[in-house]
Amino acid sequence: MVLEATMICIDNSEWMRNGDYGPSRFQAQADAVNLICGAKTQSNPENTVGVLTMAGKGVRVLVTPTSDLGKILACMHGLEIGGEMNLAAGIQVAQLALKHRQNKKQQQRIIVFAGSPVKHEKKTLEMIGKKLKKNSVTLDIVNFGEDDEGKTEKLEALLAAVNNNDTSHIVHIPAGPNALSDVLLSTPIFTGDGEGGSGFAASAAAAAAGGISGFEFGVDPNLDPELALALRVSMEEERARQEAAAKKAAEESSKQEKGGEEQDATMTERASEGASEADNKKNEFLQALAMSMDEPASSHDLQDTEMSDAATEDPELALALQLSVQDSAKDSSSQADMSKLLADQSFVSSILASLPGVDPNDPSVKEVLASMQSQSEPQQKQDEDKAPKEEDKK
Amino acid sequence: MACTHDHSCEDHDCSSNWSLYKHIDLAKVTALNEANPGSVKSVFKAWEERLNSSGERLESNEGDPELLVYIPFTSDVKIKSISVVGGADGTSPSKLRVFINREGIDFSDAQSMQPVQEWELVENLQGVLEYQTRYSKFQSVANITLHFPESFGGDTTQIHYIGFKGEATQVFQFLL
Repeated sequence: MVLEATMICIDNSEWMRNGDYGPSRFQAQADAVNLICGAKTQSNPENTVGVLTMAGKGVRVLVTPTSDLGKILACMHGLEIGGEMNLAAGIQVAQLALKHRQNKKQQQRIIVFAGSPVKHEKKTLEMIGKKLKKNSVTLDIVNFGEDDEGKTEKLEALLAAVNNNDTSHIVHIPAGPNALSDVLLSTPIFTGDGEGGSGFAASAAAAAAGGISGFEFGVDPNLDPELALALRVSMEEERARQEAAAKKAAEESSKQEKGGEEQDATMTERASEGASEADNKKNEFLQALAMSMDEPASSHDLQDTEMSDAATEDPELALALQLSVQDSAKDSSSQADMSKLLADQSFVSSILASLPGVDPNDPSVKEVLASMQSQSEPQQKQDEDKAPKEEDKK
Repeated sequence: MACTHDHSCEDHDCSSNWSLYKHIDLAKVTALNEANPGSVKSVFKAWEERLNSSGERLESNEGDPELLVYIPFTSDVKIKSISVVGGADGTSPSKLRVFINREGIDFSDAQSMQPVQEWELVENLQGVLEYQTRYSKFQSVANITLHFPESFGGDTTQIHYIGFKGEATQVFQFLL
């Protein structure tokens, strides 16, 4: 909870175009900056963070230390990559920016992202480090990206000059499968001088371990609650749909032994799920497929009643239903029939054409049809393919 | 403006005069360029202990004898004179510049600003020297910043004791 003013020095030189830290070094850096800003402001609401770029035409302060997270995130947009990084000037300008902070009670901290080669002499860096130490400024160095001869040595020398009682840190991040921000989460830069880690860092680290950087779904509920909510809802829907599909697949495999009621229930369940999102036409289509796949012996009555409901509204659809039910009634293995039916592309296209909002010429629909023909798998998968595709169109 | 005591200290209890250290807000005392963070607090003690160098002392970083000490008081004080006991072997400070009621001064500010008063110091290992102030300027001091730019040739600057003589008014500083 230490009260701190932080200046982050970003490297936006040409070396940042490289993609060894996915998606690009610059993007990885930007993510890390966002994470740091969030952590700092969360650990103490009076903390301020500022950002400056070190390359490009020259050192440029994008935002002076502020506690307004939105401002900081906004200034990260539209940054151009180019030029060479000027580490010495960057640190000195950062020091100046910190000197003019509004709240003099804040501790001064500079975080430097050193991704490109360091062209300064070790002596110069050491002198800068001494000056920082003299003015009680702590420095964190993130060494990533290029690793030419002497760079690590120079940065270590800089750190040694600045370091006062282990308040300054350096981290070396090699390119690898983990994102830059994820690796940073476990470093002292986030856990902050042995305070035991702020709650933010701990929870973010836990999430990162699960493969999601930062927050659940990669979106901060604070920053964008609607998006986070939408993502969560759609994830749950997909999960439910997959669960139902898995259930159905398991049941299909033992279909011959069990009664069709279970399937019926799950099918209609699925259909009713679909109903909540899609319109009635699609629902009827789903139900038609469902019913046609049921064991004819056990659930004919149900089928008839449901079909008659559907039939009243759309004669074409009713015809289709009739055909499919009759076919399945003849053959005990309705599954094969259904696939045959659906394999008949003209039949399927006629059904689809009758549905509003479905264009048989749509490439995705065609794709689905093609895949269905090639498959001889259970209906459920095909239904699933169709259902989400149709929902997508909505 | 250095002066020596005109009486022997055994008869007269000098310590009561140098009691302004009691009014220093020790928690908020800071120093720049000190080798051990927090060691600056050890130099404010009673007059009797000014020569007691067994405890910690304020030392600047290797090779850089500049020191900056920021001292806030718990109430406004009037400062009559200042006493500084330095270290041996040229590590005593040779100059002192003070700034009054200014917060957040760092080295570049201190070097460029005009001090309220400055003194050429003398090596004062026995702690018998005091430096008088222009009293009219030190009438209502809420905080004082001492800048020691150089030492007597030593690699570092060491300070064992800083004392203030004067009186405390009852105007308390309410810090928000």
